Amino acid sequence: MKFSGSILLVDDEAHIRKFIALVLRQIQEAKTIEASNGEEALALYAQHRPALVLLDVNMPKLGGLETLRALKTINPECVVVMLTSLATRQVIEEAAEFGATNYIRKDTPKDEILKALRETIEENFDSAESSPSPL
Amino acid sequence: MEHLTSLPEIDLEGRKILIVDDDRVNLRILKGILKGAHYVISEAESGEAALEIYEKVRPQLVLLDVMMPGIDGLETCRRLRQTYASDCAPVIFITAKSESDDVVEGLAAGGVDYLPKPFKPKEVLARIRAHLQSQILIEHQKLLVEQLSNANASKNKFLGMAAHDLRNPLASIRGLAEFLSDGTVGPLTPDQLDLVKTIHGASQSMLDLVNELLDVATIEAGELRLQLELQDLGALLEKSVYLSNIEAAKKTTKIICTASGDSSFALVDGAKIRQVIDNLISNAAKFSPPGSTITVELHAGPGRRGFSVKDQGPGIPESEKDKLFKDFGRLSVKPTGGEKSTGLGLAICRKIIDAHGGMISAENLPGLGCEFRVTLPCPP
Repeated sequence: MKFSGSILLVDDEAHIRKFIALVLRQIQEAKTIEASNGEEALALYAQHRPALVLLDVNMPKLGGLETLRALKTINPECVVVMLTSLATRQVIEEAAEFGATNYIRKDTPKDEILKALRETIEENFDSAESSPSPL
Repeated sequence: MEHLTSLPEIDLEGRKILIVDDDRVNLRILKGILKGAHYVISEAESGEAALEIYEKVRPQLVLLDVMMPGIDGLETCRRLRQTYASDCAPVIFITAKSESDDVVEGLAAGGVDYLPKPFKPKEVLARIRAHLQSQILIEHQKLLVEQLSNANASKNKFLGMAAHDLRNPLASIRGLAEFLSDGTVGPLTPDQLDLVKTIHGASQSMLDLVNELLDVATIEAGELRLQLELQDLGALLEKSVYLSNIEAAKKTTKIICTASGDSSFALVDGAKIRQVIDNLISNAAKFSPPGSTITVELHAGPGRRGFSVKDQGPGIPESEKDKLFKDFGRLSVKPTGGEKSTGLGLAICRKIIDAHGGMISAENLPGLGCEFRVTLPCPP
């Protein structure tokens, strides 16, 4: 059963978006919404209210942690999974403090990314169904 | 990066010497001897004055009379060494010939040499010259060591940055190649599939190399932080063996684990110890002929915690043993299945085990193969 909610994918590197979007195609019905930086992510979040956000940590200008804080201000309930390259303990802890649900290392093989995403969805949404989060 | 300074011509002209003696006659004689040598001479008539003038002048050498009213030469020398530590200029004591106790005490107080009275001009000049020269060499060596350690830090920083920036694109190449090869985006001809699998394999080895370089850079920069928790070593071994068996099956290599059922808790960083176990097992598999057996053993009991990995490979050539745990220490022994090796794996293992306060060693087994053995500290 595929996830019916919408997903916002935020990463400044186009090849990473391409790769993760392919992973998402295996678990998601709708097309992934993509943003290449924090500002764009916030605008698209306000517009589409996606159920799940995959958010890169290292981005120029508005970084992942700042974007995470802003997202949580807009909607404290939104489910955010951080995309990290080198997950230093400190970044993970900070992200958890700001309310990130999980983190995934981008250099993980695709099947493991898939598994982690499925688990996050199962834990946070009822029977793989989702409606846009309430305000 | 700054260039390493080359060795200078040793020119002693203008070097500063402080002469300390309460006897003005001695002062005058010494100044007379040194006159032609173009040193810059300062003088003091007591220990107290010497300390003051030393601070002002910062001489490169001190000639110091032992017997003086007030604080004597020995005490003056001790105070200088205490204040300036390793930066302190060498001290040569001035002693009367008969005072052999003074010589011993003077050397014990931190002096480097002594000049017996009455002075022999040639000897005085030669000794002063020798000490000034070696002082210059020492200063130079200090500078060189400092520059080298700066250069090494820059190297690590660069390595870390380069490796870090290479990871994401490599991970994408590997991931996208995987999607192409598993048919997610449509079928490929066998030839196309072969090419895509080659791209996948190559990007995977590059990713492994980059990860190992990053490990080395992180560890060398002193940023290896252990998250110590009580872990069941037996469980860590079994997990590693289970996963490694899947890969090893390709070479019909069997990995057996004699840890089953035993539990032995140790205070370790679980992820880092897993990295060590995985590395030792994958090394054993790499260098073993197809069809051989790798034995992983848990060593646990009162007062001991550790494990070992035994293979049936060619062993370690005696002459190359010292290279084994060093960075890029690839040996002449080649992997048996064309596997890649960066030569960093065992260096990383050693650094991780060192950080735990443990030991890692390798021994050839009688007959065939070798054994890598890891000993870890016991939990209190």
